[in-house]
Amino acid sequence: VSHNVKRFIFLSSICLASVIALSLIVFAQGGRRQDENRPPALPSIQPPPGWKSCPRCQNNEDRRKARVENKVEGHAFDPHNLSGVWGYDGVGGDRGPTFRTPPPLTEWGKQRQLETVGAKNARGEPMHSKDTSGLGGGAPVNCDPMGYPRLYTYNYGFEFLQLPDRTLQFFELNHTWRTIWTDGRKLPENPPEPHWLGWNIGHWDGDTFVVESTGFDERSWIDGVEPDGGWPHSDQMRVVERYRRVNYGTLEVQLTVTDPKTYTQPWVTKLSTIPLVSGTELWENFCVPSDYNTFTNDVYLPATGEKK
Amino acid sequence: VTSKRGMVATFSLMMMLTIFGGVVSAHHSRAGYDNKKTVTLKGVVKEVAWRNPHVYVIFGVKDDKGTVVQWTGELSSVSTMLAAGMSKDTLKAGDEIVVVGAPAEAGTPQSLIAKLTRADGTLVVADSYRSDTR
Repeated sequence: VSHNVKRFIFLSSICLASVIALSLIVFAQGGRRQDENRPPALPSIQPPPGWKSCPRCQNNEDRRKARVENKVEGHAFDPHNLSGVWGYDGVGGDRGPTFRTPPPLTEWGKQRQLETVGAKNARGEPMHSKDTSGLGGGAPVNCDPMGYPRLYTYNYGFEFLQLPDRTLQFFELNHTWRTIWTDGRKLPENPPEPHWLGWNIGHWDGDTFVVESTGFDERSWIDGVEPDGGWPHSDQMRVVERYRRVNYGTLEVQLTVTDPKTYTQPWVTKLSTIPLVSGTELWENFCVPSDYNTFTNDVYLPATGEKK
Repeated sequence: VTSKRGMVATFSLMMMLTIFGGVVSAHHSRAGYDNKKTVTLKGVVKEVAWRNPHVYVIFGVKDDKGTVVQWTGELSSVSTMLAAGMSKDTLKAGDEIVVVGAPAEAGTPQSLIAKLTRADGTLVVADSYRSDTR
């Protein structure tokens, strides 16, 4: 028995050490990356014949297959043609990393940032109650527009439709669009009304599509802040986006946010790559206030103990 | 022999705890649920709320006294559920299901569903809130 016990302890220790080591490797690589290599447990629901999946309706296996079937790798492309569905899970592969570290906030900016932080529940966890865009479970009717560039960072897939005088940017999330005028007009000095998605103009700088925007509604956030709240902006914010199709399957983007009322320096994002999501088309991901309210009242608030 | 069996059982348990512990730590927590705990429920589907932000299943579960308690099982968004292999037609009222998930922190009859099977063991949802469905 003593021998068996020793053997048991020895074997257990080795196995336990291996499992812990493996867990650490998995953790270090990031759960998402590791999961991408694993086949899904069940096949996804396929779109009707002749139709395509929505960007988030594919599983990783569908995405891999579509890229092979549609010969995305090495496919010919025109750098001035931005067509296709871009991204499905935020910019940079995980929602939120685009605007993680801001430049120093002004005093006004600090005050505005504090005002974005919502209430906490009995256990001290954030309720996200100031996030009225549909992401905050604790907000009463939370389908307010996400605004720009937050809608871009939380990307569920977008596409460009290029017309002679304008480029339309369609977004799967919230089923909305932004008009980017390319007819040579200038940005207005004092727009008559603030826009959630800005007043936007675009032009080509070589192979880079440059979008300049102003006239934003200052109620929206540049992006969310962990664990709660958001990075604010003022109605003086200007945004410059630089889109470059570096190959058929990849869009490279860099954003510069200039808002001296809120930040002491321009906020320049790192260069992000957004993948072409082959085999998909945009569906209809509306934020429906009554559905969100039902969910908040019947599921979210009872589970958190905020409503009996 | 008994002691050997005991050891094997202990060893298996240790392995399960280690593996499961690792899986749990990789999850993004979802507000309102204690995903350190697991609840297993056998019930009958009353309704499937097939809509955003998250799909949920309302099902009846008999308690110790035989009284049917109405439970809510939260899944993920419509698009994520399609990617995970569940459609609006997968479950119908009257279907017998087994739900494994995290219980609500408030102690209400609610669960964040990790795995959903039919009474005969057929897999319906492997894991709705893990990123491998993405």
